[in-house]
Amino acid sequence: MPTSDKSPVILRDTAPTPSATPARLEPTQQSFALVAKPARRLWLCIYLPGLPLQALNDKNDHEAVAVFEDEKGMRRILLADKKARAAAVVPGLAVNAALALLPTLCLKERSPRRERQALQALASWAEQFTSFVSIEAPNILLLEIAGSLQLFGGLAPLRQQIVTGLKTLGFSALVSIAPTPLASTWLAKAGRSVSILTPADLTGALSKLPIRCLDWPDSVNESLNGMGITHVGDALRLPREGFARRFGTGRLTELDRALGRLPDPRQSYRAPERFCSEYELSEEQSASDLLLNVCQELLIELERFLLTRQLSVQRVLFSFFHLKESATHLTLGSMRAGRSIDHWFELLKIKFDQLGLAAPVITIRLRSGQSQLLTASTDQFNFGDTGRRQGEPIAHLVERISARIGDKSIHGVTTVAEHRPQYAWSTKDLEQTPNCAAVPMSRRPLWLLPEPRPLPVEQHAPMYQGALKLLDRPERLETGWWDGDGIARDYYVAVNPAGIHVWVYQDRRSDHDWYLHGIFG
Amino acid sequence: MADPLEKLLQNPRLWRGREQTNTSTWQGLPSGYPKLDRHLPGGGWPQHALTEILLEHYGMGELQLLMPALARLSTPEDHELSDEAGWIAWIAPPFQPYPPALLQWGINLSRVLIVRPRQESETLWSAEQALSSGNCAAVLMWLDTMDDYSSRRLQLAAEKGQSWAIAFRPLAALSKASAAALRIQLMPGEKGTDLGILKSRGGRPAVLRNYAD
Repeated sequence: MPTSDKSPVILRDTAPTPSATPARLEPTQQSFALVAKPARRLWLCIYLPGLPLQALNDKNDHEAVAVFEDEKGMRRILLADKKARAAAVVPGLAVNAALALLPTLCLKERSPRRERQALQALASWAEQFTSFVSIEAPNILLLEIAGSLQLFGGLAPLRQQIVTGLKTLGFSALVSIAPTPLASTWLAKAGRSVSILTPADLTGALSKLPIRCLDWPDSVNESLNGMGITHVGDALRLPREGFARRFGTGRLTELDRALGRLPDPRQSYRAPERFCSEYELSEEQSASDLLLNVCQELLIELERFLLTRQLSVQRVLFSFFHLKESATHLTLGSMRAGRSIDHWFELLKIKFDQLGLAAPVITIRLRSGQSQLLTASTDQFNFGDTGRRQGEPIAHLVERISARIGDKSIHGVTTVAEHRPQYAWSTKDLEQTPNCAAVPMSRRPLWLLPEPRPLPVEQHAPMYQGALKLLDRPERLETGWWDGDGIARDYYVAVNPAGIHVWVYQDRRSDHDWYLHGIFG
Repeated sequence: MADPLEKLLQNPRLWRGREQTNTSTWQGLPSGYPKLDRHLPGGGWPQHALTEILLEHYGMGELQLLMPALARLSTPEDHELSDEAGWIAWIAPPFQPYPPALLQWGINLSRVLIVRPRQESETLWSAEQALSSGNCAAVLMWLDTMDDYSSRRLQLAAEKGQSWAIAFRPLAALSKASAAALRIQLMPGEKGTDLGILKSRGGRPAVLRNYAD
């Protein structure tokens, strides 16, 4: 017997009393807590110092380009590309001076909106690498990549893929990796393209960073400089209390977060889940062919949007804008959530004919309604069991017809367990399974009249396009007295001279009048 | 040269007078009435084509005529072919099709679809949609006026969706041309309803006394 097996037994023997049970539970809880501790995180920071220039990039390779910013009436160069820098156009230069240096310089005003859009587009792009992408305005993306390493074959291939991808998209970026978001940001800003994998290495790596990479206010940097503190390492050596008193607890918290001593939660970027796209026509148009073509383009765009997000929509809204009239809106709904545009286009064509646009259209906008996750089972959705042959889902046919002639005009039928003939059936939605109540024993007509029709009587025989001959014995139905709509009728199958078989009854309550209730067809 | 000619003769659309066409490639849908099947080319209703039924009054047995075939279409006997079970669309019926009776005839109610258009142009449009969608095994429609052009459209839609189109028309339509593959007239007879085959693609006109017999 190995001794290791015995030791717990001895422990139990020494503490056999029930009071010791919680004490023995404690270690188990602790070990459980160790397992449940948050998994190791690894942050990849994409720092885009050239974003103001690259966000405006229109692939113009011939001219030197620079971005300027209006600063209190002074227009100064913010960023310049390689060609401009070669001509000594540097950031901070006045625009006029830059033009004097390089008359062919292409100057563009900085656009924060375009930068935001570019950053969002990059965040969407980066979602292929990880499910957690965080936008740190104005020019930083943080990717949590610990969970992606295995899928992409390790750190180096993943990093390589991201760097080449960014280059292809036309962005020059600094990429660094660290176990905390702040550490990776600071490293990237300092231009250190390093990969630090364990928190233990953090202090060493951060110590060498100059204080100015931390984006602290100038006043703080200056006073730290005055104290002879130029690197993060120097700051870390200061007494914590004194540091917090002089520079605020915020700075200390930042240092602690960077080193992983404090948690540093970030917000994940979520791409918009509603689609909205506009198409502006060069001039007003009223030709429906042309407008429908544009709508189709928009729908194709929607399809692509849904496809990449594994989403589906049940409702889309088209808006047709006119120059002088107020906009015309057209909502399309489908009971079957889908993302295939063919069906939407079919519905649109039907509705478009009925729409009657008041004026020529200048802009068409397509917005999607609430989208939902596409589940595999919706593809097999149909009424009852499997659909027939090569056909599209029956729901598509139903929607096309109800789009043109109204929702109420298409339905299924079911039987109802009820003896009164007029209540023995009902309409139903097509997706409901019919309730197959017991089939009545005696013959029922294929046609039922909406209301029983009184029949004239001649020589004691009811007439329907001639005298009716009663066949067989009557079927007596006397029921429904409990709900005030009771019947007491003798039903007969009868035939008229033209050979038409009908279902007639004699009302036993009133004066024994005859009524036609059905035709056997 | 012989090959295209042979091919042409095989085509059931080719009218060859008194000579019956080779029925091997032309499988009809058994109507459930042996007397009728004997007179229809292919031994049954022409599938994937338009059938016209002309009658003076509703109730002359026009539905009973179709019921056995419709029951077959909505509930195939062969279980492996359950995918084949198609919808049966009723477009603009003059009265209410009565579900208990449909059940008695063996129709699968979960496959019944009723459309009530407001006007005849919508009836034609809905019928064409239902026929060409490929969902419906049979489409029944009640039309008062239909021109040659519409009947051709219905015929094409039936071929496209591999569906059986059945149009009920008043007797007045007798004098009008139609692209239907089969035209039938129902008349009151001495013992029951007589059935006249007015036009039958690949078959011959005939009159059947009391077809249900």
